[in-house]
Amino acid sequence: MTPNVPVISIKKLTKTYQMGDVAVHALRSVSLDIQAGEFVTVVGPSGSGKSTLMHILGCLDQPTSGQYFLDGKDVSRLSDDEVSTVRNKKIGFVFQGFNLLTRTSALENVELPLLYGPDPVSATERRARAMAALEAVGLGSRYEHHPNQLSGGQQQRVAIARALLNNPSILLADEPTGNLDSRTSVEVMDIFQSLKKERGITIVLITHEPDVAAYGSRIISFRDGVITSDELNTRRRTARGELAELPEPLEESA
Amino acid sequence: MLGTSLKIAQKALKRNKLRTGLAVLGMTIGVAAVLTMFALGTGAQQSVSSDVKSAGTTLIFVRAGNFTRGGEESRIPTGLGSATSLMPDDADAIARISGVKYVSANVKYRTWVEDGGQREYTQVVGADSDYAKQYDWSFVKGRYFRHGAVEDAEPVVVLGSTLRDKLFGDENPVGKQVQIHNQPYKVVGVFETADEDQSDTAVIPYTTAQKTVGTSSIQMITVSAEQAGDATRISQDIRTLLRTRHHLDNQPVQPAGSAALGGLQMPGAGSGGETPDDFTVKTQASEALTKGLNTSVAAFILANMPQMDQTNSQEMAGTLSRAGSTMTALLAAIATISLIVGGIGIMNIMLVSVTERTREIGIRRAIGARQRDVLQQFLVEAVSLSAFGGVFGIVLGFLAAVVITQVLGWPAEISVTAVALAFGIAGLTGVFFGFYPARRASRLSPIDALRYE
Ligand SMILES: Nc1ncnc2c1ncn2[C@@H]1O[C@H](COP(=O)(O)OP(=O)(O)OP(=O)(O)O)[C@@H](O)[C@H]1O
Ligand SMILES: [Mg+2]
Repeated sequence: MTPNVPVISIKKLTKTYQMGDVAVHALRSVSLDIQAGEFVTVVGPSGSGKSTLMHILGCLDQPTSGQYFLDGKDVSRLSDDEVSTVRNKKIGFVFQGFNLLTRTSALENVELPLLYGPDPVSATERRARAMAALEAVGLGSRYEHHPNQLSGGQQQRVAIARALLNNPSILLADEPTGNLDSRTSVEVMDIFQSLKKERGITIVLITHEPDVAAYGSRIISFRDGVITSDELNTRRRTARGELAELPEPLEESA
Repeated sequence: MLGTSLKIAQKALKRNKLRTGLAVLGMTIGVAAVLTMFALGTGAQQSVSSDVKSAGTTLIFVRAGNFTRGGEESRIPTGLGSATSLMPDDADAIARISGVKYVSANVKYRTWVEDGGQREYTQVVGADSDYAKQYDWSFVKGRYFRHGAVEDAEPVVVLGSTLRDKLFGDENPVGKQVQIHNQPYKVVGVFETADEDQSDTAVIPYTTAQKTVGTSSIQMITVSAEQAGDATRISQDIRTLLRTRHHLDNQPVQPAGSAALGGLQMPGAGSGGETPDDFTVKTQASEALTKGLNTSVAAFILANMPQMDQTNSQEMAGTLSRAGSTMTALLAAIATISLIVGGIGIMNIMLVSVTERTREIGIRRAIGARQRDVLQQFLVEAVSLSAFGGVFGIVLGFLAAVVITQVLGWPAEISVTAVALAFGIAGLTGVFFGFYPARRASRLSPIDALRYE
């Protein structure tokens, strides 16, 4: 990947929902370039179009107009199979509403991306990798639990483990700390920051907490479907250092 | 990937057992119906064709003598029956003609049959050991005499049930003695037949009858053809064979069909002034047609309707195949309807399942499942349903066939082909009716599926 080709490049992207006679403009001509290895945080009020943008970036939705280039390739020209492979291998997605399979154990949920990969992975390997990912988010002992037997924060962590399982080069996270206490939030931010540092993964993270946004290297503000500000973060927080200062939790989360 | 689909399908189907059970039940009934219909259809067809066979269109009668003898133009049947031209060897030779199933030499006479007090004047038939099979007699007591009894000219007799009633009433006569023509005979069996005349006869080995009558010749040969449509061809072969054996001439026999050329012919008279036959060959069909007619009139009719029995058997075959195809069409209709009903059940369940699991589909798509992965997952589910239905349906179909055979007495015949076909059709129904819901699932846009409430 040449450094001057942005990983994500969107040009004049619009998304309009037609609700009967009313047209809802969720995105109004948004243009944005994101380089490899950036940690972009997106902030903005509710209903400003953050999730809509994220779904298009994740190849789950198509824009009404405008173009989206992923690694320089026009996504609208990719076949369904190619887009599926992109979703499977290149992009890890953490949804605002978790989107875990119900009546399916945490472990099986985390395994899912390996089921649909282009290369077959043996059942034992799937299990081992999913187990490792669950342990990384502190849920090693909860692997047999179904989503309805897990707390909101735990479900969120299962979703994060699933998103990271296939070592994606882009991680799209829609409010991944919305249900987490402050310590766990910092832990998740630590995971993200180290992924960026160690693997050069590109992260786009939506949040409406300014102190979570401060972990990113670049902060984009959204309002009514347009970007109102886009600046590099000069006062960046580091989760690793903060974790050391925080008191140990009284009860092990696992 | 298929293994994964199977696992997912298994899980999804287990989740709602009652619903799965009902969908499988629909298919089970469909497949069972197909199999039972097939079984009954095959059974019925077999019994119809065996009825036709036993109805005796396959019998050919060769009698000694002819209506005319020595080239006389007389139509008085002096020669018939009283001639001594047929020998047991002729019967053996006829048995070797291809398409001939059974052959039996016959010597018949009328005489007194008595048991102590009772005396009946009736027909005594001397026959060979396959004679009972030729008429498909069933034995209510004892059995028919074996070939050894014929070879040794044993004094054994089987009685028609009517004759048995007259002589013995309800008693079992097997093992007892009767006097035929003042000679003692041992009764070895009692047979039943729908033919009233036959039912009043006593049947003994033809060799024994020869001794009684004091002859080495035989009066008649009863021939069974393997297939109904073959009787005319075999009749002609018999005629050729016997003319050669009896050294009547070396000329090829005029084919029976030559009558169609126009002129009315007299039987056996031939066209070229050749030596007439010293025997008569008639098929059962022609015999039935001319029954009760004056012999010369009958002979005249037969000579001018040489293809009659053939037409008859062709008509019979035609009627049979028409009946067969009506039956097949009916069965196919019932089978199709029951399969469609079963298939709609599966389609319904699959559509419900797709709707219910829209979010699941969205999640799988978001994580990288391709359209074809989703399609396969739901197809596998639909085919699993129908395959279970197929297996249970085959079991149920077997049971139904057995019960129907036992209770209603209808013949049923389950073949491997029918089972394979029923299972194959079940699978295809699953694919056919599962395809639409599965395709619908695979075509969902990932984000719409994820948002589905
Ligand atoms: N499927 C849809 N149909 C119609 N309108 C929609 C649809 N999805 C989103 N919208 C509208 O588009 C706008 C942007 O929604 P979006 O979900 O992107 O907001 P958001 O910035 O993620 O908000 P939040 O912070 O609350 O998650 C909203 O006004 C919403 O009502
Ligand atoms: Mg949102």
